[in-house]
Amino acid sequence: MSDLRRLPLVPLALVVVVFGAVPWVLTLFGKGYFFQVADLILIFVLLSASLHLVTGVAGLLHLGHAAFYGIGAYVAALMGTELKLGFLWGLPAGGLAAAVLALIVALPTMRLVSIYFAVATLAIGQMIHTVLLNWVAVTKGPNGVMLFSGIRLFDIPVKGPLAVYFVVAVVVALSIVAIHRLGHSYYGNALRSLREDDQCADAMGVDTVRLKIEVFTLSAFFAGLAGGLWAYTTGYVSPQDFNFSNSILILAMVVVGGLGSLPGAIVGAVLLILLPEVLRGFGDLRNVIVGLVMFGSILFLPKGLIGEVSALALVRRHFVRPKGEVAGREVGW
Amino acid sequence: MSALIEISNLTRRFGGLVAVDGVSTSVAPGELVGLIGPNGAGKTTLFNLISGFTRPTSGTVRFKGEPIDRLKPHAIAARGLARTFQNLRIFPNMSVFDNVSVGAVGAIGQSALQAVFGRGARRDEITARTFAALDRVGLTDRAGELAANLSYGKRKYLEIARALAMKPDLLILDEPAAGLDDSETAELARFIRELNREGLAIMLVEHDMNLVMSITTRVVVLSSGRKIADDAPAVVRADPAVLEAYLGVEA
Ligand SMILES: Nc1ncnc2c1ncn2[C@@H]1O[C@H](COP(=O)(O)OP(=O)(O)O)[C@@H](O)[C@H]1O
Ligand SMILES: [Mg+2]
Repeated sequence: MSDLRRLPLVPLALVVVVFGAVPWVLTLFGKGYFFQVADLILIFVLLSASLHLVTGVAGLLHLGHAAFYGIGAYVAALMGTELKLGFLWGLPAGGLAAAVLALIVALPTMRLVSIYFAVATLAIGQMIHTVLLNWVAVTKGPNGVMLFSGIRLFDIPVKGPLAVYFVVAVVVALSIVAIHRLGHSYYGNALRSLREDDQCADAMGVDTVRLKIEVFTLSAFFAGLAGGLWAYTTGYVSPQDFNFSNSILILAMVVVGGLGSLPGAIVGAVLLILLPEVLRGFGDLRNVIVGLVMFGSILFLPKGLIGEVSALALVRRHFVRPKGEVAGREVGW
Repeated sequence: MSALIEISNLTRRFGGLVAVDGVSTSVAPGELVGLIGPNGAGKTTLFNLISGFTRPTSGTVRFKGEPIDRLKPHAIAARGLARTFQNLRIFPNMSVFDNVSVGAVGAIGQSALQAVFGRGARRDEITARTFAALDRVGLTDRAGELAANLSYGKRKYLEIARALAMKPDLLILDEPAAGLDDSETAELARFIRELNREGLAIMLVEHDMNLVMSITTRVVVLSSGRKIADDAPAVVRADPAVLEAYLGVEA
């Protein structure tokens, strides 16, 4: 995996595929539907990559990622409909709103023992979903928000599926570069040390609580951006797109691809969005097949397709205290 | 003599058990002090108190003149105190290089923004420190390997390299020779003495009496949480109270 990462050929090939081959082929087919699937894949690539930072790199089990995605989507959509502030305002505002909320959530919960933190993220996810569903005055409740304005860059309207695809691809590509650098830097090594043994990292001078809060917040920022992209590509946001099963879907992408690996998170997202589309012919059976793929990958590929750590080992560590002389009551995790 | 670390009347209770009981001692810059005592004497608890992993019930710890007994472990580490753990603790799913870099990044620091945009002096300094520490323990040629693939003996050196990358003023080692055979232990003893000769102050918990006696300048003996001796190795070796604690013989 590390050999693959060091070749500059891989990012180059990715750029050629994302900005050349895919749009070219899709234009040949000339169907808007295929572009929608491509946009969806890119959005979930960003969601998966952002969760990869928290769960794959820093080792925090996060069960509410879709809620921060939802905040970004609603903020971008409502800024468009209520304030008439377009894409270039709504997108960063969505990211920032998600990040601020994540910071507020993280401050009191990050000191919790990791399994309780996981439960807290689950609860926060449910709370945000409930607010989106029931705060009808602002969110329009279950009806969702329609956003007709479309993407405008300064005064130029971005028209047609190909142009929209390119805008989405640029935002996602820049985000992926940032996420890659966060993960593959000394900062990233400090994050990995949290996953490996956070008490030990503490003894090396790593401010573990602060770092966990930072990575959780950064990750929410990128999820918020993904939300803005969703709002503007589909023109419609509704609570059901940001519920628990979406959080689990994103988590599954990270796990299937391999915990700790950014290429893994990307492959996982492509696979889990594409597979149900390819399997449309199977009707309801396709969900069973997708489930089997997830199940099989945990069972037969403990480290996912290209991961650094085994998902089972990570989860087990959330329940079992490490044996060690500082594992006393008050040391905690 | 101004002490590097000064431990005064340190006590730690766990419920009814007094694990560390009114211990006072100090380590001067450049000293190599041994800390011995039977199992359960409170040696590891004393190290946990010093490094901030456990809070004292009473008493104080001063490091470079400032109290550190209320600080978090990372803040104490940042002031120049590095520790290793009794049960070897490395980052198994990270490379040897990345393991050691955590010590350097913990001491020097790199922010998220620097990670995204920066090249910069900090990054180069972290890299240089990491290689220097790897070099010091002879693991440079294995830098790219997964830490979990190192032998048990090499992992001990990895853990020490990670601490050295912090450029500490005081290194506290908790039973570094545990699990090593005789020749490995002798080699480690030589290495620890060398580090000390280069000017690093070291506090060493060790079970192996001979190892402690042969390399330290002073030995502190704990028994049931109390300090029962604190003197030159030769004196401690002949101390009747120490013999009794270790061998259960009435002197
Ligand atoms: N976190 C803790 N909770 C309760 N008792 C503890 C804890 N840590 C250590 N002890 C007890 O304190 C005593 C000293 O332990 P320790 O410092 O590990 O001894 P040593 O390292 O000298 O073998 C032992 O009786 C041990 O069981
Ligand atoms: Mg011990």
